[in-house]
Amino acid sequence: MNSRPLMLLRLTTAPTEEVGVTPHGRLSIFPVTGGSFEGERLRGKVLAGGGDWVTRRADGALELDLRVTLETDDGALIYMTFTGVRDDAHRYFRTVPRFETAAPGYAFLNRLIAVGIGDVRAEGPVHIIEEIL
Amino acid sequence: MTTSLLMTLQVNVMPPQNIGAVPLGTRRIVPISGGVFEGRLQGTVLPGGSADWLLLRADGVLELDLRVTLKTHDGALISMRSFGLRHGPPEIIAALGRGEPVDPATYYFRTTPRFQTADPAYAFLNRLVAVASGDRRPEGPVYTIHELL
Repeated sequence: MNSRPLMLLRLTTAPTEEVGVTPHGRLSIFPVTGGSFEGERLRGKVLAGGGDWVTRRADGALELDLRVTLETDDGALIYMTFTGVRDDAHRYFRTVPRFETAAPGYAFLNRLIAVGIGDVRAEGPVHIIEEIL
Repeated sequence: MTTSLLMTLQVNVMPPQNIGAVPLGTRRIVPISGGVFEGRLQGTVLPGGSADWLLLRADGVLELDLRVTLKTHDGALISMRSFGLRHGPPEIIAALGRGEPVDPATYYFRTTPRFQTADPAYAFLNRLVAVASGDRRPEGPVYTIHELL
């Protein structure tokens, strides 16, 4: 399958809210305080207020559930979510992002399927997001 | 991005239940009567737990929300869920709607399957993210599903 780079996403988070073991697994909530995204077609910052609801499953893998709002450098707001899996035992960190925007210049985001490759770096996780062509 | 072919899934659809205009768009539910899959795993699609919940949005994009139960040749049950999008030039989409054969390269039909299974031999499916290309043939869609490596 062919893909085209969409953006590199960086997130900053506040201390984790450790909810603990619920019927679904161990729930940790990562409040998002900010971040940035950059790509050929769009760039800007991540607004505070989103979060990643992460559940550690019985098999040790993490189920990710992120919601954030992006603001482009030209003032458009984009609602972004992703679900995905992070399994450090198998060095696998992959997400499926989705986008919603009302800004006409970014409406192409409403019409595409994307995937993300997560990379854990010293400064925090970075997501390399590609459009599926 | 690198991928590896996981399987080809062919699904047999039944006449849709046209719910109609709901607040989010036009809702249509397509029950699935069966199907087959082959590749790194092979077997059949079980009816009953399988259908595709479609929503045609105001911007002309079709959202697909598929759930199917797969049964492998060696008896394992796998629950697959897949969200996707389909859109294309109006005349192409109209031809699909009339049940005509259409070249899948002329429209965009991409989905993102996820899997759940309790069978140890297929536990690797629980840990992967997949991406699929769809071909909406008259008898039902065929998905070429790739593991995102």
